[in-house]
Amino acid sequence: MAVLVNKKTKIMVQGITGTQASFHIQRAINYGTRIVAGVVPNKTEDMHLGVPVFSTVREAKEKTGAEASIVFVPAKFAKSAILEAIRADLKLVVVITSGIPVNDMIEIRQELEKSQTILIGPNTPGVITPQEAYMGIFPDNIHQTGDIGIISRSSTLTYEVILEINKTGLGESTVIGLGDDFIIGTGFFRIIKEFNEDKKTKAIVLIGGIGGNYEIEAARLYQTLKKKKPVIVLLTEDIMPLSGDNGLAPEILCHGITTAAEKKKQLEAAGMIVADSIFDLKNELLKL
Amino acid sequence: MNIHEYQAKKIFKQFGIRVPNGLIAYTPNEAKDSARQISETGPWVVKAQIQAGSRHIGKFSDKRAGRKGGIRLSKSLDEVYENADEMLENLLVTNHTGAKGRLVSRVYVEEYIKTIQKVYLGLVVDWVSASVMLLITPITENNEDDIVKLAIKCPESILKINLGTQKEITAAQVKEISEFLQISAETKELKSFLNKMLKIFYHYDATMLEINPIGISKDGIIWALDAKITFDANALYRHTDIIKLADEAEIDEREQTASKYGFQYKELESGIGIIVNGDGLALNIISEAKKQGMNTACFLNLKGGVDRDKIAASIKLMMTNPKVDGIFINILGGFLRCNLIADGIISVANDLGLNIPLVTRFEGTNKKEATDILQNSGLSLLLAEDTFTGLKMLKDAIEEDL
Repeated sequence: MAVLVNKKTKIMVQGITGTQASFHIQRAINYGTRIVAGVVPNKTEDMHLGVPVFSTVREAKEKTGAEASIVFVPAKFAKSAILEAIRADLKLVVVITSGIPVNDMIEIRQELEKSQTILIGPNTPGVITPQEAYMGIFPDNIHQTGDIGIISRSSTLTYEVILEINKTGLGESTVIGLGDDFIIGTGFFRIIKEFNEDKKTKAIVLIGGIGGNYEIEAARLYQTLKKKKPVIVLLTEDIMPLSGDNGLAPEILCHGITTAAEKKKQLEAAGMIVADSIFDLKNELLKL
Repeated sequence: MNIHEYQAKKIFKQFGIRVPNGLIAYTPNEAKDSARQISETGPWVVKAQIQAGSRHIGKFSDKRAGRKGGIRLSKSLDEVYENADEMLENLLVTNHTGAKGRLVSRVYVEEYIKTIQKVYLGLVVDWVSASVMLLITPITENNEDDIVKLAIKCPESILKINLGTQKEITAAQVKEISEFLQISAETKELKSFLNKMLKIFYHYDATMLEINPIGISKDGIIWALDAKITFDANALYRHTDIIKLADEAEIDEREQTASKYGFQYKELESGIGIIVNGDGLALNIISEAKKQGMNTACFLNLKGGVDRDKIAASIKLMMTNPKVDGIFINILGGFLRCNLIADGIISVANDLGLNIPLVTRFEGTNKKEATDILQNSGLSLLLAEDTFTGLKMLKDAIEEDL
């Protein structure tokens, strides 16, 4: 058991023929991930990395039964690729691409809300269920299986957390990078719910990111769950300004929750455990 | 990306938003001439052009400017000259500039518009709900200094309307706003004004558009007395006309260079330099370093860089920063491959020599290749297995170096 992806999940890759996609997908295949198709709109080859290449998502889905997609398409073309995947009713779409314009993401979120698709990313390292499969660009030699579910908005800090958790002898059920961009497809709570139902997962770790109040939103919804697995949030010092904006509006919008201290208060009030360093996080996990 | 008020006002004007007549000036004499061209009798407003909020309550670092802020009402041409003279080539420090402040290289001279009511208006993207929010609050003598404080203390004093992806304001929303503000302008005028704001917001892929304040004159006309626009950096490729407006003086030189390469560089204080591949990772190391008694001078985020030369050039930025007394390179490679960083370090070290302590820590994609490259390079750098020991090694090396 795990969430979102396992060794049986059939996966297609949008933009499979790119250099970066080829490099990372080959590694994923070696790991055991069930990559079954590629999608490239103006394809020049019929096979790539040993799987058939199609020109549309729908065709790839029909011919191979793929139910999930990894998107490696450049930012300028990402919107249409993602919308195509959502409209083909894929269960899961993981977007590695970074630098997608905000307005494009707003449009994608509108479409997403009308669908059943779970969109992870953009600008995410992806989703990995250790020893089974991964969709993304994770370093593949750092994970170990276990019962901690990890949801993160800070890619590389996730790797650091995993390495430290592994030292304690614990391991991960599934690791999900929600994406480091300001607007992401799926927030923390949707995934907390998945882990909450997952038999293999004992505790959930949240790793926050810069900007936005995603953790606060998650805390508010977490309170509404009847049975709750423990959630530990890693909240490192918040020294960065909220964004590159030069106005007051972003701060006004945050209702004053602009500092780590203020966030901590709100998360604890919702029953989450807050750790202010990885060391602290490990101790909290060992206490469970 | 941000632009100056006078540039934003030019855009406003093109979209039919009423703005006071104004001209830009780089010297006190130019300011006086501009004022004369704008109006014969005045009064005028002289406004420091820096890309940061709260200019009116800011303070200049050079005392010759007195205690007044960066926006000054001037009643005579001589006063225009004096105010421009005091502000130009002076550093303006506001709540949003950091302690160093920003250099005022030009002032905007405007006709003064007499108004009977002032209102703060903001459009901003709310990341979590992926929608556009409209923020409105009346400005009174009590709150004009700090609307942010007001938002924290008394959130209900700010009207927040979630516009979703609406491209036009509805009649019901205009009614709500009018009632909230007890506004003296006609609803038709208000509706048209808000729609123009929205049009600019979407047309230019803005993530924030703020007018602090709008003023309503006796005849019910709405004036944009201020203008701030932040553009989505990811969408600038659609707006080549906007890219041209970027003011390089507003951005630190190293930050600029790094950003040209697609990386992020941030100056903090003095102390160690940190090279990482992720914001969150940087924050964690800064906080960890602090616990070990070290400050951070700057950090460089190489994100998912794959270009060897750009990586080397960015590492050079940090190695040549005099405020940096030691460097910690912590790369957890996923997309970014560790060996590219190792190549970068060697190329810069060969070029400049390695005269400050350097500790590297690699994990993830191509870790072994990277470690081999560095170990065989003959450079006197230290390799660490994790953040905690890496920082400790760096601290010891810096102390030895002193």
